[in-house]
Amino acid sequence: MLYVVLFFLLFSLLLYVLLGGADFGAGIVELFSSPRNKRTTRDTIYRVMGPVWEANHIWLIILIVILWIAFPVYFNVIVIYLHVPFVLVLLGITMRGVAFIFRHYDAIVDESQVWYNWMFRISSFITPVFLGMSFGALIGGKIILAEDFARYSFVDLYMLPWFNVFTLLVGLFYAALCAFLASTLLIGETEGEVRKIFSRKSAYFTIALVVLGFILIIYGYVQDVKFIRDFIHNPVSLAAVGLSAFLLVPLWRAINRQNRIASRYLAGLQVVLVLFAALYAHFPYIIITAEKELSLLEGLPPQSVISNLGMMLIIGGGVILPGLFHLMKSFGMIKILKTGEDEMGK
Amino acid sequence: MENLDFARLQMAFTLGFHIIFACIGMVMPFFMVVSHKKWLNTRNPLYLELTKAWQKGVAIFFVTGAVSGTALSFELGMLWPEFMKHAGPIIGMPFSLEGAAFFVEAIALGFYLYGWHKLPKKFHWFTGIIIGISGVASGILVVSANGWMNAPTGFDYVNGEYINIDPVQALLNPAWFTQALHMTLAAFVATSFAVAGVHAFQVYRNKRPELHKKAFKIAIVFGAVAAFLQPLSGDFSAKDIAERQPVKLAAMEAHYETDTNVPLYIGGIVDEETQTVSHKIAIPGALSFLAFGDFDAEVVGLKDFPADELPPVAVVHYAFQVMVGIGTLLMLAGLLYFISLKYKSLLKRNWYWLLFVFLAPLGFIAVEAGWVVTEVGRQPWIIYGFMKTSEAVTPMPGMEFSFYMYVVVYLVLALTVTWLMRRQIKVLNSEKD
Repeated sequence: MLYVVLFFLLFSLLLYVLLGGADFGAGIVELFSSPRNKRTTRDTIYRVMGPVWEANHIWLIILIVILWIAFPVYFNVIVIYLHVPFVLVLLGITMRGVAFIFRHYDAIVDESQVWYNWMFRISSFITPVFLGMSFGALIGGKIILAEDFARYSFVDLYMLPWFNVFTLLVGLFYAALCAFLASTLLIGETEGEVRKIFSRKSAYFTIALVVLGFILIIYGYVQDVKFIRDFIHNPVSLAAVGLSAFLLVPLWRAINRQNRIASRYLAGLQVVLVLFAALYAHFPYIIITAEKELSLLEGLPPQSVISNLGMMLIIGGGVILPGLFHLMKSFGMIKILKTGEDEMGK
Repeated sequence: MENLDFARLQMAFTLGFHIIFACIGMVMPFFMVVSHKKWLNTRNPLYLELTKAWQKGVAIFFVTGAVSGTALSFELGMLWPEFMKHAGPIIGMPFSLEGAAFFVEAIALGFYLYGWHKLPKKFHWFTGIIIGISGVASGILVVSANGWMNAPTGFDYVNGEYINIDPVQALLNPAWFTQALHMTLAAFVATSFAVAGVHAFQVYRNKRPELHKKAFKIAIVFGAVAAFLQPLSGDFSAKDIAERQPVKLAAMEAHYETDTNVPLYIGGIVDEETQTVSHKIAIPGALSFLAFGDFDAEVVGLKDFPADELPPVAVVHYAFQVMVGIGTLLMLAGLLYFISLKYKSLLKRNWYWLLFVFLAPLGFIAVEAGWVVTEVGRQPWIIYGFMKTSEAVTPMPGMEFSFYMYVVVYLVLALTVTWLMRRQIKVLNSEKD
């Protein structure tokens, strides 16, 4: 049953990175669009994401719930030492969620739209950056597991571990990944001139992603970040990265040909490979602190808790996944609709 | 004030905020589907208009409830890491089920909002029902987790370790049923009266009264029925608390001396220094009867509990009075509605509509007061009898900044949502004027 739970943990993580990521990315694409294209992007995002965007973010809750039930020691480290960035993430999630709903559901369309739009774009960008920074802090090796909290300063314990160049690079890398996912996804949802815009965007963000990934690895290696060292010296992780680099070629071809299906699956595969490469080298030691590596499997709750959660997840998955699939399918089929007004059945 | 106080304030504030949005998000879908059903049956365009207006409300409240709920799921750990470390595995079951229910709700909402003209009519309407049912299920499950904090079961506590964990027993803790019933009814009362009040105001202003009267009627029926059932569930709760958390009961009633044939205090000013209550109305023997079904039953007073295990008595007592007072008032208002079904002339009176406008916010005040009773009444424990709140708080200093930030953000959010609702109504009123 532990493996069932682990599977769902990784599965939710992957889906959050993929679906939630595409969702964040849509806002980033809008942020980095020319004023002329912002309107088009906005409408496209609403059309594509509207029905599913809420579901996309519930993976985060599932992830958190699994962590706190099955891996309490691990969860404890996250919530104590990453309090500050998570407050920022929560702020971002809140702003983004309400801005999205405000801008599409406000009964009167006037200049307040300007506020909603900027709130949505900015929070779409900073939320994944802070999420990435939090993940960067977990693997950055700067967290000090304190016995006596009074011995350390606030900055040492709660700021430095997540606020540094390495974590910032991870944050930007994740944001680029989101934007890459979104723009690639959107290619398949549009036609004509708009389609061209997104395929150009997708190419830009792929370049940004590759460049940032490269800087991240070089910087981590030079700065002696243990995670990056182990990553480079692990043949499997390296092979996964190599494969993902190799697959960039067909991906680019697919993007260039504006192929809806192939570009989508290849983009998804890229994320799977990057995530796999990152986690494989250390699994199950996913928290790397200043003193030691903390195993995910440390301090597990009793078997009864794990097996109970495993059963819940299997049953829940059996109910939810077909529904979610049907939802995505139902609205994925409906192609070009003009504006948000149509969708609400006006 | 200490870090602990700010952490508690932040928790109280964010929970208090979330509860309102969660209640509305949980109950409004029912209004929406009733109106939708009436549209399908009667084809009266007013019902369609109303359904569309309410679905926007549902969407806005669902999202605000969802984001504030996401924040809370993190905050539970971020503010109370020591609590979550031990409690997480024990009460994980209601939370994981709640996650599932919430997921179902989000999927159903996706279908409902975007399904107009695209899904078969019956299926589309049915997805609205699913929104309502899964919303109520989420509420019940979360309250069950809170019930466990009041009635911790499903584990053995040996040498500071929580062992022999039984998640099913923890989910079905002795408090879950009474608390969930009370909260679900409260959500219906509060939301129904709030929605009814909003529409009553439009009727009073004579803005499209034919539309708003229909809306008022749908909402108030839910509210009036729930308000009548609520005292019953309150009685279950009181008996349950008397048995399991006698100190909470004593604080609710500001009852200091252990005695038999104990009176019930209504109102009163609590002096925690001298441990007395002045200016109260006392009903002889009533507390003994309400708590134990026997006028001569003994009720343990606050003086007989260890001094360091007493909750803040005055706060709990006042909150309890507010909750019961409002509950009674709303029950009478429900009665007035039923009377107006027979004497239709009442509906022509301005005061009738104004009264419901005045009542609109009260249900939510009662909900908040009820949570103050439950949560403050449990202090100083976070897990009743096992872990104190002070042992659970985060070691991170500077919680005051976090608290102030949340206050500002959530206040802005609350004001914005209110403003949005006004705009929705404005547009609704201006159509076909």
